[in-house]
Amino acid sequence: MAEAILSKEIPVPRKWVGTPIKTKEAPRLITGRGRFVDDIKIPNMLYAAFLRSPYAHAKIKRIDTSKAEKLPGVVAVVTQEDVLKWCKPYPQIVPPPADKLLDYPIAVDKVRFAGEPVAAVAATERAIAEDACELIEVEYEPLPPVLDAEEALKPDAPLVHEEVGTNLAWHEVFDYGDVDKAFAEADKVISLKLHHHRYGGAPTETHAVVADYDKGTGVLTIYCNNQMPMFCMALIGLSFNFPTDKIRIITPDIGGGFGSKILSYTYMMLISILALKAGRPVKWMEDRREYLAAGTHCNEATFYVEAAVKKDGTILGIKAKTLHDVGAYLRYEPVGALLWIQVSSGPYRFKNLRMDVNALVTNKGPVAPIRGYGRIQHLWMLERTVEQVARQLSLDPIEVKLKNYVRPEEMPYVAPSGATYDSGDYPTALKKALQMINYEAWRKKQKELWKQGRYIGIGAALFQDSGTNNFAQVRLIYKNNPFSGNSRMAEMWMDEFGRIIVAVGSNPHGQNHETVVSQVVADVFGVTPDDVFVVPGFDSWVHGWTGHAGTYASQFAVSGIGAVFGAAKKLREKIATIAAHMLKAKPEELVFKDGKVWVKGTDRSVAFWQVANLAYRNNLELPEGVEPGLRVVYAWKGPFKLPDMKKKTLNATLTYSYQAHACVVEVDPETGKVKILDYAVVDDCGVPINPGIVEGQVHGSAMNGIAAALYEEYVYSKDTGQLLSSTFMDYLFPTTLEIPDIKVDHMISPSPFTELGTKGVGEGSLVPLGSIAGAIEDALSPLGVVITDSHNPPERIYRMIKAAKK
Amino acid sequence: MVEKRKIKLTVNGVEMEGEAEPRTLLVHFIRDTLGLTGTHIGCDTGHCGCCTIIMNGVSVKSCMVLAYQAEGANILTIEGLAKEGKLHPIQEAFWENHGLQCGYCTPGQIMSTYFLLSRKPKPTEEEIRRGLEGNYCRCTGYINIIKSVKAAAEKMAKGGS
Amino acid sequence: MIPKSFDYLRPSTLQEAVQMLDRYEESKVLAGGQSLIALMKLRLAAPKYIVDITRIPGLSYVKEERGKLVIGALTTHDTVENSPLIRQKCPILSEAASRIGDQQIRNRGTIAGTLCHADPSADVPTAFLALDGEVVALSPSGERVIKASEFFVDFFTTALNPNEVVREVRVPVFSPRTGSAYIKHARREGDFAIAAVAAIVTLDAKGVCKSASIALGSAGPTPLRAVEVEKALVGKKLTDDVIVAASELADRGISPPSDIHGSAEYRAEMAKVFTKRALRLAVSRIGG
Repeated sequence: MAEAILSKEIPVPRKWVGTPIKTKEAPRLITGRGRFVDDIKIPNMLYAAFLRSPYAHAKIKRIDTSKAEKLPGVVAVVTQEDVLKWCKPYPQIVPPPADKLLDYPIAVDKVRFAGEPVAAVAATERAIAEDACELIEVEYEPLPPVLDAEEALKPDAPLVHEEVGTNLAWHEVFDYGDVDKAFAEADKVISLKLHHHRYGGAPTETHAVVADYDKGTGVLTIYCNNQMPMFCMALIGLSFNFPTDKIRIITPDIGGGFGSKILSYTYMMLISILALKAGRPVKWMEDRREYLAAGTHCNEATFYVEAAVKKDGTILGIKAKTLHDVGAYLRYEPVGALLWIQVSSGPYRFKNLRMDVNALVTNKGPVAPIRGYGRIQHLWMLERTVEQVARQLSLDPIEVKLKNYVRPEEMPYVAPSGATYDSGDYPTALKKALQMINYEAWRKKQKELWKQGRYIGIGAALFQDSGTNNFAQVRLIYKNNPFSGNSRMAEMWMDEFGRIIVAVGSNPHGQNHETVVSQVVADVFGVTPDDVFVVPGFDSWVHGWTGHAGTYASQFAVSGIGAVFGAAKKLREKIATIAAHMLKAKPEELVFKDGKVWVKGTDRSVAFWQVANLAYRNNLELPEGVEPGLRVVYAWKGPFKLPDMKKKTLNATLTYSYQAHACVVEVDPETGKVKILDYAVVDDCGVPINPGIVEGQVHGSAMNGIAAALYEEYVYSKDTGQLLSSTFMDYLFPTTLEIPDIKVDHMISPSPFTELGTKGVGEGSLVPLGSIAGAIEDALSPLGVVITDSHNPPERIYRMIKAAKK
Repeated sequence: MVEKRKIKLTVNGVEMEGEAEPRTLLVHFIRDTLGLTGTHIGCDTGHCGCCTIIMNGVSVKSCMVLAYQAEGANILTIEGLAKEGKLHPIQEAFWENHGLQCGYCTPGQIMSTYFLLSRKPKPTEEEIRRGLEGNYCRCTGYINIIKSVKAAAEKMAKGGS
Repeated sequence: MIPKSFDYLRPSTLQEAVQMLDRYEESKVLAGGQSLIALMKLRLAAPKYIVDITRIPGLSYVKEERGKLVIGALTTHDTVENSPLIRQKCPILSEAASRIGDQQIRNRGTIAGTLCHADPSADVPTAFLALDGEVVALSPSGERVIKASEFFVDFFTTALNPNEVVREVRVPVFSPRTGSAYIKHARREGDFAIAAVAAIVTLDAKGVCKSASIALGSAGPTPLRAVEVEKALVGKKLTDDVIVAASELADRGISPPSDIHGSAEYRAEMAKVFTKRALRLAVSRIGG
């Protein structure tokens, strides 16, 4: 077997890339020395608390903050009055009329969801700020709330945003292939109505901001735990009446994000306004209750699907009308309603697809790019559809999936939307996962178990984790959106003692970037990861960034590592040039090993520090044309194209990791409770830089999916629009007793589109939504139960069983 | 006039003192008054366990204890585990077995593990899961945490702690 | 996240504590705090005075006295769960305590605390009702014994007067040929019950059921005794048919709440299912 080399350009053997070394981040985190936003203390700092709307929909008639302001310890109170002085409304990315949607960081004139901020208080103690919030008098005129996407579409529905004139914020139809022909040729048409529920990221650390305005320099420093703050600068810069050149953004250690920590720019601005008004630094740490109500949810979607199929299970085409309930404000939407284009046909090879996509605003919490953003809903819908195709044709769902999968020899595969799958072997992955749960044995036992009254089922699903996205995708929402491509910046330098330092424009929150970066850099320079220091956290004055900077959307292993690799190559080249001069050799003859540069096949070498000496202190000895210093900046640019606006096609993501999940469940017919008896995952993320880190993310994503499938749901009161799952008492974050052991195996299909063959990983795409729904349906197949909801708590299953048994 | 008074307690072997009012939660007292920020806050209702410490020998959620209730108590926080730069076997085990990713829940996981192993030095997997039921983690799915606890038990059985 | 302001009182005896409760309006007893502090942090409860009884010595014990187990008010759930005496002589109490929350909560929460909080979805109150237990309540004017059947009055409301505190909890020692089970149906293992059943059955020398005590959790504003079920068991041999038939009566006279985890209809059905399961388990545990 050929030895894996790092890349064609640097043909060194991979020593550190691919090794599951211990992380660099752990030492500070296991000793309680991590530095999270709430750990930051600045002299004179105040503490903030929010007053939030108890109503889902109401006019604000009057706000009286006088009593609050008089409370000893209260220094400043901010309401819509202040916000209107400091802010313009956030720009929207939709075409008219929804581009008129007014969106501010605080409720202005109206509250549009229960939990929306109405006022903010800064006081000498958090306790006092909370007391003060209770003293603020708000007079509301309640309005009827609209709490359902289909209700929101109706002509007489209450309007969430009167200035838009409709609740339909975006509507677009995408037509690929020849859908009408496919349906004309079908042996059968399967119809389904499906509902993907609302759940969230729920990291253990909630949002937090510290805003510190230095009156001397005029610099506003914002400490936050936002996952992509420099992306958010587009919104902050266009909305906040504060000079952008004097805004410094710092993210220290972050306690998880999962997509929910992207839209906190509203808080970054609000706390800054409080700090500016108070004339002192202000800290805010979000309560869990606030997080659950307002800290962002995933897209809730209703699908009306039709599938045109042949008797033998071949899928000819699919039509789907989707209604996305995106909550009270668009914010990042309607991107979530669009991102199915990154997969379009999912892992399947049918060519004909029509998507009629609708994004509706409602009086619920705003949605954000939660883990698997926009793809999960679509991939789940496809799995449900394919499984129902099988059942209605009396075929085995597993066989139908395998039959319709894109074949490994078809890779790279261009899906109907133009999405180009780089590499992968879906059939092998699924079969492997099934093997790991002893599929054959369970199938043999299953009929007997049914006779005994035990409802055991097997489910398997494969979801793609499309990574490294092309921001031009938003032009398919509105052609005028000035966004495209993707990029990442890295700065790398060797100090005069030969030590290597790297600063990457990313905001890690559990992905252990310091570790993986040091592994790649170590291989380039022939040192160990301990010889590479990766500057922790993110500081917009230290870490290079572009508008795409951040940690999101399964891409660091491609974009971030692409930037790091590019910078490493550049730095290595410069060192080689100087070393070649010192060794009187050609740069091609040089080898980097053990902190020195050697002439290949000889014992002649120079140490890094010797090279650095020339660059830093001794530059008259440098070769001709070489600048002093050893510091490079590199910006990785994604190899993307602009969309075909006529066909509405685009290759929106560069890499396609994927996971096949298989599980065995038992459904208790008397209670509807689902127990997982066995669970296995086959993960393929191309070349893993640190397999230990990858496996951890696979576990976490599986847990996230199991949580969503069986435990977590944001439930709203149908009458008042109050969030009923408002604390961890009712938003059911699973514990060690709910999550089973998960077996993991790996495949490696390197990406032909990236330098190191890596693919973005990290989101994992919550495949349990597919595998568990399939397993429940399989278990209850003797009763003909059809699973049409992504969330299946005991009572829902119980009622389906009861109805089927009648 | 809010009553504030000084309370004394022993934290990580050192007697410490700080001002608190009746409604001051122990977790805030530890973090803000004593400056030990390794203990974290993750929820409002005593569910997530990020605030877990050892108080008078048992694991407790410090967000569900008033600071006044801890007056005179013997407290062990995450900062008190490593001795003179040498990691506790539990900390080593979490590091070696990738039992953390973002690290936010980790101090709580480690302190709950400390209590579990003090009672059950050779816990079964079921006992480990039960012992850590009150410690949420979003990143790891618990799998490597359980692996870390098993490894810690083995380490401690060999070397003692 | 932070409670409203209150005054903190730390009595050194229980007598002092009840005098404080008597003197100060809007005062509340604080023991383990695992229920009360949560409510105060959400500002759903805002007592003006907190009477912290956790320092009062001599309130944590488990003893056997005259055919009963007497348990001090401040005995933690963890102690109750693991007490060899309770496990041996009144196992249903240990089983119920083991289902509360999680380890940290069980390390702090107390038996008197959970009884006085009187949440009908909590574990120990349901078991306590099935046990026909008693509390000894102290007030400034003396002591009284309150039976379990009279103790729970409504949601989160007991028969205690505002100036009374529980000093001791008493439960019977199981007689021979007794089997028990406390099981609950909950979304997560440590959650409050969607439905819970505490079942205690005793057989006579011929194997006929001579007493049956079934209490239901989350079936009404207080834990409830399933009197019809009990009647359908006493005097019979507890075959599976008898158990199944009796369990069908578990929803008689109950008024379970509806919430996002279970509607009232579902809970009523689950009362029957779990009564059946609890009885089967209890019967299987009957020793010689």
